Amino acid sequence: MAKLFAGFTQTIVDVTLAFLPLIVFYVFFNYFYWKLPRRQVLRFFRGILIAFIGLTLFMQGVNVGFDKMGKAIGSALGGASYNWILVPIGFVLGFVVTMAEPAIQVLNMEVEKVTGGYIHNKVMLYFLSIGVAVAVALSMLRILLGISLWYFIVPGYLIIFILARKVKPLFVGLAFDSGGVVTGPMIATFILAFTVGSSEAVPGSNPLFDGFGMIALVAMVPILSLLILGALYARSEAKGKEGERDAVRQRA
Amino acid sequence: MSVKETVNEVVRSVLPITAAVILLQITVVRQPWSEFLIFLFSVLMTMAGLTLFLIGVKESLLAIGELVGKSLLQSGKLWFIVAFAIAVGFAVTVAEPGVQVLANQVDVVSGGEISRYLLVAVVALGVGIYLALAMLRVIFNISLLKLLLVGYILVFALAIFTAPEFLAVSFDAGGATTGPVTVPFILSLGVGVSAIRGSRTASQDSFGFVGLGSVGPILAVLLLGVIFK
Repeated sequence: MAKLFAGFTQTIVDVTLAFLPLIVFYVFFNYFYWKLPRRQVLRFFRGILIAFIGLTLFMQGVNVGFDKMGKAIGSALGGASYNWILVPIGFVLGFVVTMAEPAIQVLNMEVEKVTGGYIHNKVMLYFLSIGVAVAVALSMLRILLGISLWYFIVPGYLIIFILARKVKPLFVGLAFDSGGVVTGPMIATFILAFTVGSSEAVPGSNPLFDGFGMIALVAMVPILSLLILGALYARSEAKGKEGERDAVRQRA
Repeated sequence: MSVKETVNEVVRSVLPITAAVILLQITVVRQPWSEFLIFLFSVLMTMAGLTLFLIGVKESLLAIGELVGKSLLQSGKLWFIVAFAIAVGFAVTVAEPGVQVLANQVDVVSGGEISRYLLVAVVALGVGIYLALAMLRVIFNISLLKLLLVGYILVFALAIFTAPEFLAVSFDAGGATTGPVTVPFILSLGVGVSAIRGSRTASQDSFGFVGLGSVGPILAVLLLGVIFK
């Protein structure tokens, strides 16, 4: 069981460093501007403490468990004679890993708060998950066939900017934010380990660059999928039927 | 969301990936069972951690982001808003573990010619400048799409001139800067800033801060690549 806490000190240091600047800013602003009541300040620090313990446990779990399994899955499948299976398995793993990203849950909370349920939580989550799933599947295809990243990135962003002109500004912001939101610790460890593992097992590929490419695609495809969601909303609203939007919601 | 609801939500979001891994372990992967047992325990740890994180984040990171956003805009001093945005973008990026990993990778790719400190500083400055742009955009009512379009046109223009190894790394940089602490903070910063601007444009202005924040580091790494070449 000692293995469960391997490198725990490093995890604590990393998470502490990540929180530190925001705590400093809070203390600064509170001292000079807000002068919040004691109770509110205590509530903030309690929140920080809980979030800190939570993120430390989460990162440790991901580092000792998911990282190793990701690599093992990648090398086992990449070394197999039927290594084309990396593509569908990559799709499935990309789909399920998205819901476990901490920032995705936070994005959901904020979208609910800001739009008051206009964009349905579950629908957005599914579109994001499909986006990541497609991105991971494409990354596997790149590893197997050795296709240059640029054949995906250039047309991808071209389509993104064409589509972005046709949706509401709300969806533009949301879509581009989601690119940053999905590239969280789960993708950056589990899916990255899976990508590097399979790249090492497939002859003629470069694990370092395949890893970079995967992150680039995962940051891009969800932008596209949320813009498509925005276009669907725009279409159903253009028809002026409230029922249409409900249909979109129910279908997803 | 109550604690019970949060626990439910977390279990439901971590179970699918766990099920997928278990299924693969049984069918093809066959790691030693002692290793696999550690994975199962790590899942419990991950679930407990994610639950606590989501409970704590509401009263800390989300609260501070909104407060900072609101008081920045109410201060009304343009130089202060810009200086603060650059400072906060810089600080949270330097502290992001993902950026340290990126710095190591760039060290490898450039054969040690681009030092870790230079890269971290340049990327952090990239985030800071773009965060300031995101603030100015809301204040002066500039279209997000136009700002993003200019950003990405610059990205693709620089991509032609940069050393090829830097291309892939640069897009990686966009993802590396947006970690689990930074994202809630920047998201709520946007919500706070736009809440002040009135209800008509509030919902559409709330988002886009994280997206703009990812363009900065891509540009920063590409620029380094051009200079390095």
